[in-house]
Amino acid sequence: MAVLMKTRGLRMSAQKQETLLKLTVLSLAAILSFATRLFSVLRFESVIHEFDPYFNYRTTKYLAENGFYSFHNWFDDRVWYPLGRIIGGTIYPGLMITSAALYRLSWLLNITLDIRTICVFLAPLFSSLTTIITYLLTKELKDSASGLFAAAMIAIVPGYISRSVAGSYDNEGIAIFCMLFTYYMWIKAVKTGAICWATCAALAYFYMVSSWGGYVFLINLIPLHVLTLMVTGRFSHRIYIAYSILYCLGTILSMQISFVGFQPVQSSEHMLALGVFGLCQIHALVDYLRSKMSQDDFEILFRGLVISIVTISFVLGVILTITGKISPWTGRFYSLLDPSYAKNHIPIIASVSEHQPTSWSSFYFDLQILVFLFPSGLYFCFSKLTDSNIFLILYGVTSLYFAGVMVRLMLVLAPVMCILGGIGASSLLVTYMKQVERGKVTDKKAKKFESNYILRSEIATLFITVMCILFFSYTIHCTWVTAEAYSSPSIVLSARSPDGSRMIFDDFREAYYWLRMNTPENAKVMSWWDYGYQITAMANRTILVDNNTWNNTHISRVGQAMASSEEKAYEIMRELDVNYVLVIFGGLTGYSSDDINKFLWMVRIGGSTEKGKSITEWDYYNSAGEFRVDKEGSPILLNCLMYKMCYYRFGQVYTEGGKPSGYDRVRNMEIGNKDFELDMLEEAYTTEHWLVRIYKVKDLRNRGI
Amino acid sequence: MINRNIILLLCNVVLHGVYVQSFAAANIIDPDLNFKNVEKHIDLQSQLTKITTRLILENGSKDRHISNFLFSLEPEQKNSLSYIAAYREPVRVELKLTEVKVNVYPDETFYEIELKDPLSPGRTMSVEIEWILTHELIPHPKEITQKEKQLVKYIGNIYLYAPYTITKQTTTVSLPSRNIETYTKFKPVSQSDSFITYGPYEKLPPFSYEELNIHFENNNKFLTVTRLERNIEISHWGNIAVEEHIDLLHTGALLKGSFSRYEFAREPKSWEASIQSFDTILPAAASDIYYRDEIGNISTSHTRIKKDSVELNLRPRFPLFGGWKTKYIVGYNVPSYEYLFHSGDLYTLEMRLLDHVFDDMVVDELVVKIILPEGSKNIELSLPYSATRLPDSLHYTYLDTTGRPVISVTKKNLIENHIQNFKLKYTFPRILMLQEPLLVAAALYLLFLLVITYVRLDFSIDKDEVSESKLRIAGQCEKILAAQDRRVTSYNELDDQLAYLKANKDANTFLSVVKGINQEYKSTTNSITEIAQRLKGESGDVYDRIQELQKYDRTLKELYNQQQALYVDKLVPGKIGRQQFVEAEAAITKKKEECVEKINSIIKSLQ
Repeated sequence: MAVLMKTRGLRMSAQKQETLLKLTVLSLAAILSFATRLFSVLRFESVIHEFDPYFNYRTTKYLAENGFYSFHNWFDDRVWYPLGRIIGGTIYPGLMITSAALYRLSWLLNITLDIRTICVFLAPLFSSLTTIITYLLTKELKDSASGLFAAAMIAIVPGYISRSVAGSYDNEGIAIFCMLFTYYMWIKAVKTGAICWATCAALAYFYMVSSWGGYVFLINLIPLHVLTLMVTGRFSHRIYIAYSILYCLGTILSMQISFVGFQPVQSSEHMLALGVFGLCQIHALVDYLRSKMSQDDFEILFRGLVISIVTISFVLGVILTITGKISPWTGRFYSLLDPSYAKNHIPIIASVSEHQPTSWSSFYFDLQILVFLFPSGLYFCFSKLTDSNIFLILYGVTSLYFAGVMVRLMLVLAPVMCILGGIGASSLLVTYMKQVERGKVTDKKAKKFESNYILRSEIATLFITVMCILFFSYTIHCTWVTAEAYSSPSIVLSARSPDGSRMIFDDFREAYYWLRMNTPENAKVMSWWDYGYQITAMANRTILVDNNTWNNTHISRVGQAMASSEEKAYEIMRELDVNYVLVIFGGLTGYSSDDINKFLWMVRIGGSTEKGKSITEWDYYNSAGEFRVDKEGSPILLNCLMYKMCYYRFGQVYTEGGKPSGYDRVRNMEIGNKDFELDMLEEAYTTEHWLVRIYKVKDLRNRGI
Repeated sequence: MINRNIILLLCNVVLHGVYVQSFAAANIIDPDLNFKNVEKHIDLQSQLTKITTRLILENGSKDRHISNFLFSLEPEQKNSLSYIAAYREPVRVELKLTEVKVNVYPDETFYEIELKDPLSPGRTMSVEIEWILTHELIPHPKEITQKEKQLVKYIGNIYLYAPYTITKQTTTVSLPSRNIETYTKFKPVSQSDSFITYGPYEKLPPFSYEELNIHFENNNKFLTVTRLERNIEISHWGNIAVEEHIDLLHTGALLKGSFSRYEFAREPKSWEASIQSFDTILPAAASDIYYRDEIGNISTSHTRIKKDSVELNLRPRFPLFGGWKTKYIVGYNVPSYEYLFHSGDLYTLEMRLLDHVFDDMVVDELVVKIILPEGSKNIELSLPYSATRLPDSLHYTYLDTTGRPVISVTKKNLIENHIQNFKLKYTFPRILMLQEPLLVAAALYLLFLLVITYVRLDFSIDKDEVSESKLRIAGQCEKILAAQDRRVTSYNELDDQLAYLKANKDANTFLSVVKGINQEYKSTTNSITEIAQRLKGESGDVYDRIQELQKYDRTLKELYNQQQALYVDKLVPGKIGRQQFVEAEAAITKKKEECVEKINSIIKSLQ
């Protein structure tokens, strides 16, 4: 018997159920995005990773201890000896200020977190926020179902995780959040045309500028969006208000960052934004005039205006470029447009592995099924064009191009891939889900239209099953990639020993701590620039060059010292007041990214300036054109300082059974120059696995001896 | 040295001449007392200088009992003295030892040792005095290369530097190995293996001095803790966290020239002078041990759990050669029931002031900080030996409001013998234990309250008519649904009563109960109509649906009335046949079911 329904008890309206579901999915995604980034903390320890994060950590510590003003005016004499570096004016301070603010806040509440802990966990924290902001952005662009999909996808997408695991304390960690936040505000502003949202967008843009140099992408994408809207005839008052306010406020705010300075009005990278701003005004004026004038009069005026403005702006541009008011395009930006530019012109940019073009496999590695969902998402955007969808399409296409140019920009591509993938997946599922349901309901009717309807339900079910399998494989792939590829701190290396247990090579910290403890406080350490940040942060010693690479001649000088013979190098080292020299050597353990493998870059960079003219790359290849360290190698190579420092006394060591002594396990050859002594240097310290070798530069000899 | 001895002798002569009369006063060197036999043993096997002297005291007076005597050290040992203690032999009993000044020798440091039982005239007593000096062994040469052995020099006194005359003395020196470069050949002397024996010497005046100079090989650990900061944090939730910040310095011969990893790995000779690892002994209950430094975790350490301790094998990041420094932090937790005792609100903490770092250790400076729980008062500290108490401070950490009191103590120049317990008494009202959980609860409560208020408030300036009317409709629907629920209850009760009537056939009771039910039903139906009227203006659609609901409800009620009539008028008096009744009831039930289904679908749409 049917019973009258009672509504009391655990009853929820559909709307409330939806809210609850959304909140649950979103918070789970946010928690997941935090948790999946903790592999390295669990496997190793809570430690800062890689190179740049060490600099950020050091500066954050300085900021937290000394306050903002002394940070802003900080002249660091521990780096780029003897030049020094004005830290406050040469960095994007957003990251440091964020974590220092968190630090102060937690101490205010008597939560005594170490500044290092905050730095380590900042990137996972911000990726949680990114997950939420991705949901909001996608919701604005499409609907909340797609938003949830996008949020769940960005939580674990490897392309983003690669830069935001716990310990990877870098600008990108918070910049992606800032970028998506700005986009969200921008879309809101475009949709509503409200001054409030446009101002919020400008503030978000300011935060973005303060935290990452990649803001240039943003300040070109938004004008591009506006331009496209103009061309497609979608320009309206809403867009006029949104863009004018964002540009004016955003530019003024961004100029407050001392590292950015007057670039927003001078450098050519920002000219698109300025041009579109001008165009906006003209477009609005033209619209106004058109509404007030007759057709004929208007056309004459329009033509005259177009011709004169184009001529004037061209002439002005040329004059400003010639007089140097508009700075020439920087190399890094050129290499974006022309991938081969850097390789041909600036060795220091080309020498960084993350500036290399992306390979096809790494797209799949970093994005997996998103690669396939991306076009479908694009299709759904095109099928229902709106102002905001156009933005998404532009963002997707441009970032895809840039990611193809430079591995590093995969980071910018990953969020839009997730958003478009989310839209694609959700739209597909919505379509097919309906089919599954109808199949059940219309069972009776189906008999009448047997031809189509039976298969429809089955196909829909099959499709959904396939999608589910794809999502599972995505999850498994992402977790695997995160665990295997992106969670090693690179400051501690681990390897499997023959008996299967895990071996840890902690040689870097061993050497840095030795420097910190057992060298004079003001000792100057020379090393290749890769290790500069780590030495200043961990060893607390003065260094000659670091990862900032702002002065090519100085780096080149170090490269020259490394590439010259001992006597010549001694002159350079005396000139630069060097006390210790540090080299990374992997020949004993088989660590392949050591200084010998980087050596050709030192030669190239060393030879790229006036003083290093005598150093040519070809001298370091043998007659057959090969770069070898064994007997067949070029004699110049076998006698240069870098070679001697790496292989000092290595000739006597047996590294592998069945191989002669002095067998290099990275280059897989027996070294060519075994018995030599160092005259100007002495071995000060070598770590347990010979990964880091430190030499002391001897004083000048006494007269008469 | 000979000059010095002469001066001292002269002094003694003068002293005996002038002050012979005033021996009864305190802190006066008793002329009647003498050391009948002295066996001095100098142990130079480690980096410490451990000197043990066995004395036989003789009371030379006729009628006086002697209850204490004085003991002195060479002036140059004053700064390096770390520990001194006296025992009565042969049954070992510790004697009280206090530092005193003697007016005649203002520059000398004296120790007054109280004998437990006074020494009768003419009798003898055996006493052992032990003192340990630090940084007395000087590496010579000062710098050695990686392969060389470490040689050290010791300069001391062959005799005992005592204020009394000594009848007979022998001195033995024990060294870590038989490799002795040179030693003072002051006759009679003999060397066997790693021992050097001087003496016996007889009839020695007070304060006699003869320089002892030994140059020998010592490859033991010359490792100094230059600073040790020990933090003890007490939680009344059952845990005591101990953290030690340790600065180490290799105080042996400095490393000359380069360090060669190749030789270090190949030849054992080349790492003899270096320190690669050492053992630290922690309490047996220690858990969650960590070993790290400023730049992160140091992965090279092992723990061995023993019966009465946890042995921690610590390996610094790099081997320590002469002059090399390192710094590290060791921390662990111990359960508080082993160290913290209480009765009522009175607590006593009993822990080691200094703990073991490595064998034969030297600690140049110790700072102990004891962090008590927030709200502790009446703090009393009793130390096992004298140390400087630093001003108290406050420490703030998780969930603190007024701060935790911190008691700090510092002392210089310590060794293993200083591993002794301190006692700290304080009162802590136990009710304060609830403070932190309550704080968290209150904070969460406030947070939720804030969210609830925020969600319910509308901050927009302009009125959004559509959403507001939606909200109003939703509110009214809620009310209607609640009324409907009440109605459903009435129907259910009616069903129960009907079933009861069917079984008992008691019409009167039934009618009286149903009256009440019907009243309830009427009032709810009226209230629904009322609400529906209010909704009419807001949303016609919802209003229509409610009207429909009311219509079906009326039908349902009518059916119930029919059923009731069937029961009361026909079944109870027995006016109806069984077959007929069953048919009639089935008809009504079928109609009822249809009606209920319709009502349910409307309710669903209203939710």
